[in-house]
Amino acid sequence: MADLQDELHPTTEVGALDELPEPFVVAAPAPSPPDPDASPLRRARALLAAHPVADGYCGLLSALRGLPWYDLEMGESALDTDVPRLREGHVGALFWSLHLPEGTPAERALSATLDQLDLVRAVVRAHPEGLRSADTAGEISDARYCGRIAVLSGPAAAAALDDSLAVLRSLRALGLRVLTLSGTSWASGPGLTRFGEEVVREMNRLGVVADLSGASGATVRRVLAASKAPVLCARSGARALRPHPFNLPDDLLAALGAAKGLCMVPLAAEQTGPSVRDVADHLDHVRRVAGPASVALSGTYDAGVAHPQELGDTSGYPHLVAELLERGWPETDVALLTWGNVQRLLRGADFAARAAQLRRPPSTATLAECDG
Amino acid sequence: MSAPTALERARELLGEFPVVDGHNDLPYALREQVRYDLDARDIAVPQDAHLHTDLPRLRAGGVGAQYWSVYVPSDRPGAVPATLEQIDCVRQLIDRHPADLRAALTAADMEAARAEGRIASLMGAEGGHSIGESLGTLRGLYGLGVRYMTLTHNDNVAWADSATDEPRVGGLSAFGHEVVREMNRLGMLVDLSHVAATTMRAALDTSTAPVIFSHSSARAVCDHPRNIPDDVLERLPANGGMAMVTFVPKFVLQAAVDWTAAADENLRAHGFHHLESSPEAMAVHRAFEERAPRPVATAATVADHLDHMREVAGIDHLGIGGDYDGTPFTPDGLSDVSGYPNLIAELLERGWSRADLAKLTWQNAVRVLSAAEDVARDLRAIRPPSNATLASLDGAEG
Repeated sequence: MADLQDELHPTTEVGALDELPEPFVVAAPAPSPPDPDASPLRRARALLAAHPVADGYCGLLSALRGLPWYDLEMGESALDTDVPRLREGHVGALFWSLHLPEGTPAERALSATLDQLDLVRAVVRAHPEGLRSADTAGEISDARYCGRIAVLSGPAAAAALDDSLAVLRSLRALGLRVLTLSGTSWASGPGLTRFGEEVVREMNRLGVVADLSGASGATVRRVLAASKAPVLCARSGARALRPHPFNLPDDLLAALGAAKGLCMVPLAAEQTGPSVRDVADHLDHVRRVAGPASVALSGTYDAGVAHPQELGDTSGYPHLVAELLERGWPETDVALLTWGNVQRLLRGADFAARAAQLRRPPSTATLAECDG
Repeated sequence: MSAPTALERARELLGEFPVVDGHNDLPYALREQVRYDLDARDIAVPQDAHLHTDLPRLRAGGVGAQYWSVYVPSDRPGAVPATLEQIDCVRQLIDRHPADLRAALTAADMEAARAEGRIASLMGAEGGHSIGESLGTLRGLYGLGVRYMTLTHNDNVAWADSATDEPRVGGLSAFGHEVVREMNRLGMLVDLSHVAATTMRAALDTSTAPVIFSHSSARAVCDHPRNIPDDVLERLPANGGMAMVTFVPKFVLQAAVDWTAAADENLRAHGFHHLESSPEAMAVHRAFEERAPRPVATAATVADHLDHMREVAGIDHLGIGGDYDGTPFTPDGLSDVSGYPNLIAELLERGWSRADLAKLTWQNAVRVLSAAEDVARDLRAIRPPSNATLASLDGAEG
């Protein structure tokens, strides 16, 4: 049938001359053509393509509990988080919160946390094109090179331990990576008890990262002193800009920076304010006080909080990064903010764990022995 | 050169086909005695004074694979955290003794351990209370390496009747059946020791994978609710599962059953609960024991059960589950984990062939786990994880 087709691009007969193009005329340099590649949003997208967002707190698991059916790969309007919007927002890794609904009875905390860990596996397995479980910095990078969004398990509530270090070890074996140190007898307002310190040392040995958002100032200081591994605050802004119990005062921000920890600033209107500029103000402040190596991002999507304008779902990160570029953040600092700092934190935690395992056997300390 | 004795032949046989034991409560003994201070009970050296189990005696007994029980009591809250502590204990034991123990999650791991001369270490949870009425938690236990779960211990759970409690749901409730199906999907063996006969039959109706009795003997030989009725043993060939004979004297020796009943009655007559272990109760119990000596079981008692179970279920459906460190008294000749060769010698003298004994000690247990893995592989392809709850299947009443 090919001979019935008209030739779309007739070739020149042999011996005839090809039509030559018009001679190239060098145009006079335009006075100032706006370079579209230089617009902050474009630069933000290009930068995020190389250094995607590692998001410190995603509430997806609890939001999914209320949905009988869902498909994250096709897009899910009932949620702030789904694969298309994660990709649009250049999210490369997510920490999935295992926190329990308010009012979960203490004796159910562990079983409910095991259910959450089970749900992580099930959801990741149900979306193999979009998501991949990861635990280490290397696995996060692997997921990224395979075009998958890395999912890490945690933070979980400390109540899940049921005051047992053996339970902590079992949860680690099931993939738990971050534990929020608040709401127990050994990590509360007055700070860490002796058992609390032993929990931190065992977390160091296992590579479970401490999350101190919501912990008391005394607890934060004791953990910073006791922990051999860097810690994080999974959703904390600057209290100097906005009072909120989870936001950190400047002295703690400075201490966190000195300890190479991470303040992960939430995109939560209640904590940061209602606009992109407000969030950027917090990031500016944390970067100035704690240092560029100690600031990171925390989407807090699907966690039941209101988000600033333009940051209503997981696709909004480029707007925030554009704002930072307009404020003159060097690209290297933006890369640390979105991706590099979380990588460093996880590497630091794993390094500390390997060092501790050479030195320390599994701890058999009990709450009763330590705290009487 | 004289012909080798039965015991020598037994040891030689166990060298090639070591014992897979279905139930050992060492983790609970370590929890109760020393609160997991594993230095205080170092199993690398003899612990005869405190335990039935240590590595030298496991070696002497020809043990090649052990299902360590991660049992926790069913009559108090906090079963899920306690079970995770028990699992952690087993993991630590394996980590501390890498030359002797090898973590095993599959039948292939068991064979690899045998080839290396290490003891394959598997885990079994003893009672549905360990999953807190949650299939997500059941999957968590599987993820941590638990490869069988006994559906109940001495008390009923909301979804299954125990052999030693008042019947309540008449076997398995709707949720109980779902637990069995989910265990099939995972490749976790359904263990029917401790459960009521109605529960055994209900589980056999539902399970598409082989079931096990991790430590139960024959009710026709010794009438005790912890033993297996013949009609259930008869169903094992079709199911493909196995009954692992237990040694506990008060389950296997009729005289010991009767004596225990009389001793319990005596305690109650003195105003104590029959399981009470206070000094006063123990004094009353000792006085009773002086008047009426405790009947003693032997390897022959256990062999009688095996002969009967073989008659009813067939040689392909037998195994061994000693319940060491889970019972204070043991038969003569089987007083600790070094005793298995005595049982094998007794069976050799009764004319059991080498091929029969290889099935009893090693091959059946490996086959059963392997078959459960095959069923799980098929089910996982067609069945998503179940998120059924007790409330959704059994109603708000439970």
